[in-house]
Amino acid sequence: MTSVSYDIELNGVYKSYPLGKSRIPIFEDLTMTIPDGDFLAIMGPSGSGKSTILNLIGGIDTVVRGHVSIGGSMLDKMSTRALTRWRSEVIGFVFQFYNLMPMLSAAQNVELPLLLTDLSAAERRERVHTILDIVGLADRHDHLPSLLSGGQQQRVGIARAIASDPRILLCDEPTGDLDRKSADEILELLQLLNTKLGKTIIMVTHDESSTRVAKRTVILDKGRFVSEEIAQCA
Amino acid sequence: MRLSPSLLIRQNLTRKLLRSILLILCIGVAFFIFGVLSSFQQGFKGASAQTSRLVVASKVGGNETLPLSYLPEIQALNGVADVTHITRLRAYVENERNIVGANAVDLESYARVYSDAYAFSTEMLRAAGADRTAILVGRTLAERMGWSTGDTVTLTSFVHARSGGDRNWRFTIAGIFDGAEMTTDTSFLLARADYFHTAVMRNKNRVDLFGIQPKPGADTQALAREIDALYANSGAQTRTQSETAFMSAFLEQFANIALLVRLIVGVAFATILMIVANTMIFAIRERTLEIGVLKVLGFSGGRIMCIVLAETLVLFALGLCLGLCLTAVAIPVLADALQSVVPGLYLTPRVIATALALAVGFALACGALPSINALRLPIAAALKHR
Ligand SMILES: Nc1ncnc2c1ncn2[C@@H]1O[C@H](COP(=O)(O)OP(=O)(O)OP(=O)(O)O)[C@@H](O)[C@H]1O
Ligand SMILES: [Mg+2]
Repeated sequence: MTSVSYDIELNGVYKSYPLGKSRIPIFEDLTMTIPDGDFLAIMGPSGSGKSTILNLIGGIDTVVRGHVSIGGSMLDKMSTRALTRWRSEVIGFVFQFYNLMPMLSAAQNVELPLLLTDLSAAERRERVHTILDIVGLADRHDHLPSLLSGGQQQRVGIARAIASDPRILLCDEPTGDLDRKSADEILELLQLLNTKLGKTIIMVTHDESSTRVAKRTVILDKGRFVSEEIAQCA
Repeated sequence: MRLSPSLLIRQNLTRKLLRSILLILCIGVAFFIFGVLSSFQQGFKGASAQTSRLVVASKVGGNETLPLSYLPEIQALNGVADVTHITRLRAYVENERNIVGANAVDLESYARVYSDAYAFSTEMLRAAGADRTAILVGRTLAERMGWSTGDTVTLTSFVHARSGGDRNWRFTIAGIFDGAEMTTDTSFLLARADYFHTAVMRNKNRVDLFGIQPKPGADTQALAREIDALYANSGAQTRTQSETAFMSAFLEQFANIALLVRLIVGVAFATILMIVANTMIFAIRERTLEIGVLKVLGFSGGRIMCIVLAETLVLFALGLCLGLCLTAVAIPVLADALQSVVPGLYLTPRVIATALALAVGFALACGALPSINALRLPIAAALKHR
């Protein structure tokens, strides 16, 4: 697996949404490459298409024209079934509002994507242990999400996203709902996952200061990248 | 606790426990209504089961009787395979409110003519043949009275006195017979006609009915007309009907009430299930975001659908069990109270099977409709759902 390079390539992507009878274009001709192991922060005003980029890369939305290719797989050519399977193996999603299952404990939430793997119950349990350790929630296994703070819930969200060991993490405003301190902890955790575990991370954020953990930051406006900066601290 | 699809289903059902319980109760009540109503329907149908038999009664009706001497004449008619005669004892046990159906019959021909309705074993017929005061008792009646074979019972007739004026008749039970089907009415007993007509003081050899088994393929309507024509000019004119018509004439007096009850109850059943379906559909629609998240995690549409369907199936299964248990408890009580109106009131396997099929159908529909909608929604849109 590690021999394959999971470079992300968007090529001449045209994307539009229907609005009444006409369609409003979001991207008219978007081309970009995100190399394997990158930590990219995407900023930009609301409605500029940041979430849409993540959705296209994660295979939960499809292009109208153009191509999205990741590690050699052409997402626009895959069937829904193949795409679902591919996503469960390659992509981890982190949401702004965590989106945890309210009736499942922290450990069970993390275990959820592992139900789709061939791992035995014992192997799953061990994996969940390790991951909750990594995100610093070793002592919160059996807590329901409602009993956890926002920062802790987002750690569970990240743990769930990396449970099946995906190469790419897509984070849509992961700290948007958190106070400064919790946000910083989450950002450090993401940086750790990037530097130590080599995950490619694409993070959408509205908060300038959170881009410091990224290797690169791009600014999106009206479907175009208007500037790109390489982070100094990378 | 170990995470598994079944745990997921259980947690989903218990997270709004009150709602789940209320849904199960509603489904239970709906199927209770359904169970009782269908059992009534079956009971009515059972009482007027399809048969080619004819019944000859007095044209005057009421308590008028026919001479037993008609029997060989009817027997001699072309379309008649077999004929038997029936005399009502019109009796009670112990007190006048405790009326029991009791007929004096020629057991041998009766068993032949009614062979498809009641199961008379050769042993019980032989035992009854050996004792003039023997009676055979239907299972339902025996259970109601707590009688068993060998018991001696005393029936008091409202009208028939023995020579000497005594209206008490002592009989010995020679056997308990069953109906051919669960819903067959067996709430009566059969005494020996030869004994009765010898012992009775007045109206010897006058019978209430003749039961006729026509030859296969015989035109029963023509046969009925032929019999009535035969006695048109005699002292005791006859009225010959199919057994079905004879029974439904009796049941007709309840028909309008039955229709009304059926309507009201049917509407109640449908309404409750509609409310249940509506609630479930909304409950699942509430989970559109969750379904979107599961899809993001890599759960396929089929897998998610299975989880949702399993949930609605469990709810309906529990509700169905509750409803059928209530029905099973209620039916014997109702059967006792409505003994004379619906003799064969039972919860039959057929009713249970229909209820099961309905429950499965409703569960699948209630689960499939909203989850198909949620699954069709693009994931990106589902994720915006709050
Ligand atoms: N399912 C959809 N149907 C129609 N229009 C959509 C849909 N999803 C997004 N859009 C439109 O596409 C544009 C880009 O949306 P997107 O969610 O990518 O913006 P964003 O940059 O993530 O904004 P925000 O910072 O507010 O999250 C918006 O104008 C939005 O209205
Ligand atoms: Mg967004």
